[in-house]
Amino acid sequence: MNTINHKWRLQSVMLFRILILLIMLFGMGFQVQAQEKINVSGTIYDGDGEVLPGASVIETGTSNGITTDFDGNFSLLITPGNSIEVSYIGFITQTLVIEAATSTLVITLNSDTVSLDAVELVAVGYGTMRKSDLTGAISTVSSDDLVKGVISSTEQVLQGKVAGLTVVQGTGDPSSGATLRLRGGTSLTASNNPLIVVDGIPGVDINAVQPSDIASIDVLKDASATAIYGSRGANGVIIITTKGQGAGTSVTYTGLSGVSYASNHIDMLSANQWRDYVRTNGIQDAIDFGGNTDWQKELEQTAYTQSHTLSFTNGKEDSGLRASLSFLDNEGIVQTTGLERLSANISTYQYALQKKLKFDVGLFANIDKWHPLDYRIFERAFNLNPTIPVYDQNGEFTEVGGTLYENPVEILTNRVADDKRHRLLGYFKTELEFLPDFKAVVNLSLEHNAHTGSGYKPSYAVMEGRTEGGYANKNYDEYTNMQLESYITYTKEIGDHNINAMVGYSFLENRYEGFGAQRSGFETDLFEYNNLGAGQDYRLGDVYSYKGKSNLVSLYARANYSYDSKYMFTATIRRDGSSRFGANNKWGVFPSASVAWRISSEDFMEGTSVWLNTLKLRVGYGVTGNQDGIGEYRSLSILGVGNDSYYDAASDTWKLAYSPTQNPNPDLKWESTEQTNIGLDFGLFGRITGSLEWYYKYTNDLLYTYEVPQPPYLVGTMLANVGELSNTGVELTLNANIIDGDKFTWDANLNLSHNKQVIEKLSNQVYETDIIYSGSLHGLSGFSNQFSQVIREGYPVGTFWGLQSEGLDENGAFILGSEPQKIGDVQPTLNLGLGMNFSYGNFDLGFTSYGSFGQKVLNATNMMLYDPNRLPTYNVPDDFLGSGITSSPTYSSYWVEDASFFRLQTVTLGYTFPVSGVFSNMRVYLLGENLAVFTDYSGVDPEVSTTGLANPGIDRFNSYPRPTTISFGLNLTLGK
Amino acid sequence: MKLKNIIILLSAVALSSSCTNLDEELFDKVKDEDFGTTPKEVEALVGGAYSSLRGFNDGISISFPTCEYVFFLNEVVSDEATIPTRGQDWYDGGRYQDAQRHEWRADNGMILSAWRYCFTGIAKINSIIYQIDQSGLTEADKKPINAELKAVRAYYYYMLLDMFGNVPIITDFEDQDLPANSSRQEVYDFVETELTEAIPYLPSGIVYSKFTQNVAYSILARLYLNSEAFVGVARWQDCINACQKVSGYSLTPDYFANFITENQSSPEIILAIPYESDAGTVGNYLSSMTYHYLHRFTVSATGDYPWCGNGICAQPGVFSSFEDVDRRKSAMLAGEQINLATGSVLIMDSGAPLDYTEEIVNFTDAKQNEGVRLAKYEVKAGEKWERDHDLVIIRYAEILMMQAESYVRMGSPDLARPFLDQISERAGTETPELIDLAYIDKELLREFCFEGRRRTDNIRFGTFFEPWWEKGTTDTYRGIFPIPQVELDKNTNLVQNPGY
Repeated sequence: MNTINHKWRLQSVMLFRILILLIMLFGMGFQVQAQEKINVSGTIYDGDGEVLPGASVIETGTSNGITTDFDGNFSLLITPGNSIEVSYIGFITQTLVIEAATSTLVITLNSDTVSLDAVELVAVGYGTMRKSDLTGAISTVSSDDLVKGVISSTEQVLQGKVAGLTVVQGTGDPSSGATLRLRGGTSLTASNNPLIVVDGIPGVDINAVQPSDIASIDVLKDASATAIYGSRGANGVIIITTKGQGAGTSVTYTGLSGVSYASNHIDMLSANQWRDYVRTNGIQDAIDFGGNTDWQKELEQTAYTQSHTLSFTNGKEDSGLRASLSFLDNEGIVQTTGLERLSANISTYQYALQKKLKFDVGLFANIDKWHPLDYRIFERAFNLNPTIPVYDQNGEFTEVGGTLYENPVEILTNRVADDKRHRLLGYFKTELEFLPDFKAVVNLSLEHNAHTGSGYKPSYAVMEGRTEGGYANKNYDEYTNMQLESYITYTKEIGDHNINAMVGYSFLENRYEGFGAQRSGFETDLFEYNNLGAGQDYRLGDVYSYKGKSNLVSLYARANYSYDSKYMFTATIRRDGSSRFGANNKWGVFPSASVAWRISSEDFMEGTSVWLNTLKLRVGYGVTGNQDGIGEYRSLSILGVGNDSYYDAASDTWKLAYSPTQNPNPDLKWESTEQTNIGLDFGLFGRITGSLEWYYKYTNDLLYTYEVPQPPYLVGTMLANVGELSNTGVELTLNANIIDGDKFTWDANLNLSHNKQVIEKLSNQVYETDIIYSGSLHGLSGFSNQFSQVIREGYPVGTFWGLQSEGLDENGAFILGSEPQKIGDVQPTLNLGLGMNFSYGNFDLGFTSYGSFGQKVLNATNMMLYDPNRLPTYNVPDDFLGSGITSSPTYSSYWVEDASFFRLQTVTLGYTFPVSGVFSNMRVYLLGENLAVFTDYSGVDPEVSTTGLANPGIDRFNSYPRPTTISFGLNLTLGK
Repeated sequence: MKLKNIIILLSAVALSSSCTNLDEELFDKVKDEDFGTTPKEVEALVGGAYSSLRGFNDGISISFPTCEYVFFLNEVVSDEATIPTRGQDWYDGGRYQDAQRHEWRADNGMILSAWRYCFTGIAKINSIIYQIDQSGLTEADKKPINAELKAVRAYYYYMLLDMFGNVPIITDFEDQDLPANSSRQEVYDFVETELTEAIPYLPSGIVYSKFTQNVAYSILARLYLNSEAFVGVARWQDCINACQKVSGYSLTPDYFANFITENQSSPEIILAIPYESDAGTVGNYLSSMTYHYLHRFTVSATGDYPWCGNGICAQPGVFSSFEDVDRRKSAMLAGEQINLATGSVLIMDSGAPLDYTEEIVNFTDAKQNEGVRLAKYEVKAGEKWERDHDLVIIRYAEILMMQAESYVRMGSPDLARPFLDQISERAGTETPELIDLAYIDKELLREFCFEGRRRTDNIRFGTFFEPWWEKGTTDTYRGIFPIPQVELDKNTNLVQNPGY
């Protein structure tokens, strides 16, 4: 009880402090001087004669000011003789001296000549910056450019969109999620996922936000941009800004309905082909079961998918609201699989104190439901003899014995598995302009993520079920992140000097806990997983629970200076303290600095300005960290109680033993990545914009779990900061407005990236390792404890290590080299994203595509299937019969294939109706997804997950085929 | 005024930044320094020494004494068992082929398993001894606890002495230096001294599964029996003396009562490692490593028996070396197997009947049904993957056989006869007129078949170095295993055993 009270007290003390802080902020905002005032009102227009809402009108030298309303109108009380400053981002600021009250002032702002990108605001973490002032490598994707289609994992909207960012989805399973990887991985042990920041809240699950709620995504790539996120910034930062509240009132519906089917299969022998083979080869003891079964197709279904989103926006002068509700039912093409998601988002803002004070409140919630799949069915589908019918004469599932030989349709049908995930993200943000040019921001947020799993294997289930007599399990896992982000910004323009500074503090508390129970031995299968108490067999470990907590405390600051929008300089620093770090390394410091030079604004460039619209050079350097790999309590000396029981003869009972679970490491700390980035932004002929980036990342203190001798060490492994790793790469992004006619337009975008990874060091004086075997093949028949890859100095992660094969000899045996060597790696030499949009009148046509070239994949599926020992019992691919292979499965370069591919991801054909009245937009479209893949890879799909350290790039019955989907969509907006 | 405001504001931020407590708060774990103060906690710590005997699978090695790979290693290199390659199955990088042919190298994973089985246990026991030392118990209370812990550690060192010879002796938990090898003689002396010093403080009488005085004397007897093989000094009389200190045990009338699921009731078992799947014990699945994939249908009509992997089996020649009257022959399963669902012979996927044959025609490409199976421990329908029978380490029969062998070695076969008669009478055989070492050797095979101790006998009798099935002459340096290559890599102070 004491500790609970203590925790409550701590929290209330903190809340109290925040309250004091807020009250002080308010108090300072109220400092308005009392003098004789006159009223000035009027309207502000842009150069085209359109009204300018949101322009700021400020009494010069004071904090007195206002922004124009939606009709461009403003009204302000000022001291006579003072001047007003009218400004709007992307426009040249005007100053007028006001002597007397007026109500008819008309001011026209002229657009700033710097460039269009001046108006574009880019989220940089703890604030925004004008794109023109950026000094770091940041790519922005607006909501229009996000990948459209059936999106069950929010990561997918970025597929092929940003140079250097790859989105890998290992399978076609809608519930399997996707992985983001920016500029190669920096870690062997820790997560290589970029930090996701949603509306200013770092570390959020990206799926808390639905694609329909996203306004823009900024991808912070280099260390000068990400160092502001310190020990969490090494893998890049992805900042998601959700849709705000537009002007007026509108209701939008977007809907998509589609049908999917498997895009590819492995062509196995059909029953008749099998019979031919048996007959021709005179095989006597082969059993023909009389059926005609295509086991892969028996697992599949034609999948129907629908998604609907309804959103509502209401924006007034000093308050606004946006709400949305969406539903996704994404059926998988393998029976029982899919993902159902119901999500809601509501966000609102409220101004007060002449718009000096702003409150933002947002809430995102969603529920996912899915049925986890037993992936072992795919290997069975390849193994089973095609003459075995799915059902026997009695209509029961045909049962066949043998190893890896269970009826996969039976497994798919009889297993019960229901999973749910709830995500909740809420924030309360207060912004106060407490002094002219100073703004204080306090953002309190909470993210909660809870997962429930339930399963039942009936007593009659073939695989494992029978010996357990029914097996039920339920588990619950949750985590909560509570965060305080507070910072003060200072923005000042003095002539050509533009100063932007920020200092802040943040506190994060992560708590996680969970429990689970399992039972077997059920007398009846009626209860499924709903009555665990009815299971009669109880084992130690059938019940468990856990709980943990970590804190991250940070102080950070950024200063940004630009002169004449020509020379820019940014410096950031962050100091992070984490409870996960060892006692000797509790705090880390992460600095960065960067400069930019807009060459095209120099006088000497005037001659080229006709074709070279912009040219900007950026150079940055910074240090970032990665603390994900440590986990909680890893630095301590801990005793655990697992399934470590002993028999106590005296009492004839089993008791639990307490044993050390890990080697303590008080030196444990973050991985640290230094990155240098040189970038060039350019604009050509008024139609092409682009950027070219070069970077060099060097990671120190790489975490790895080293094998250590016992004794002196307590347990066989030790997590330690030892290794070093580098990534070098170039990226090119091009956006072109090729044709911009009245009726016909043609836009194109292309991005290319190349990354080279090298493990530089794996040993130091204490921990030595020359070669670490990885890419386990364990579990494949005959490959127990065998490995296919190495982690080794001088090579990248995912290096295949084995015998070189020169093909087959005249007897069909593999010709193999004698010494294991590098036989390829999973790192692509080139990643590509290409998209184009055409419009003709009201019609639009677009496609998106991406590709990856040069990576190698171990086709372990074929390695196992092209086995002369398989027939007649186990099925083989059609192509095996002509392959001439007579040797048993042997790991060699023979099975390491080039998995280069180019995928036509989406093709959209749309028509926008000319509408008026209550409708402001109506568009219908046809969408095709995954219509074609160009590859020489012989497996089901070349896009094999290359992420993760353990098994990157191994196609191991990786056979959930990717779907091809054709959908019809409708977008409809009412109101303005 | 403005400046003052800023200062107040900044100090407010600084105030809130006093929330910088970075201590880790534990909920479901305990720091070692906070544990081991009460008698119950001490008991829970000492229990860890016993639970370590069941081994582990920690991702680096599978080190179970029951099968993978500590047992497999010792069995496959001996003359009683083998793991043939069946198609692609059980190739696993050639580790079993190399072991069968006595061509193993220092990177054979099974050798690492055995090394780590012992040293992981030793590391754990050293830490427990350290914690007991810090616990605040009285010296008098510490004595018996330490004696027990040191006896378990001595058993690990006995196994290291037997398998690796020149291993480092590490007893101080606080010593963080990477250790260097000790000589085989030093390890031998260490085991003898530790056990001898522990004995006065160990429990007397019979306490099932505990390291008692009886257990310690039994291990000492093993040490003296193999003394000549280990360090070149024969100590047969010491072996007999140690055996005679072991008391309170008797042979079970039914040989197989030692190997039933509830074998803890056997009065013959001196030391066993207890298993109870409901208590979460893992690693006890030898039956699933030996029987054919479809064997479950011979146990239960509905196939209510765990998956089996069709691996380890008897080396050809072993089965036929048993007389048919020998009850112990049932330790092996041979012949056609009946499918209980159909009542007829079980048919394999290939269409051929499942008939376990003694002969293995092609060691590197054996048929699924070849090889007689290891059937010593009871098999029951409804069993789970984790079996419940306790793993027998030392039986009273061994005490009898050790005395018999020692007397034969000392030239007094007549004194050996009473011991041998007890053994053969239970087996349903007869002790021959001529008692010689060849008979002792064969009788050891028959009595202790597949109990994981045959390699030591083979070496002591010298047969280990002679050719046998799928193996030629073995160099004498292979009488101990090489130190695993990865251990040499991790600890550069270690020197490889000679010859490797």
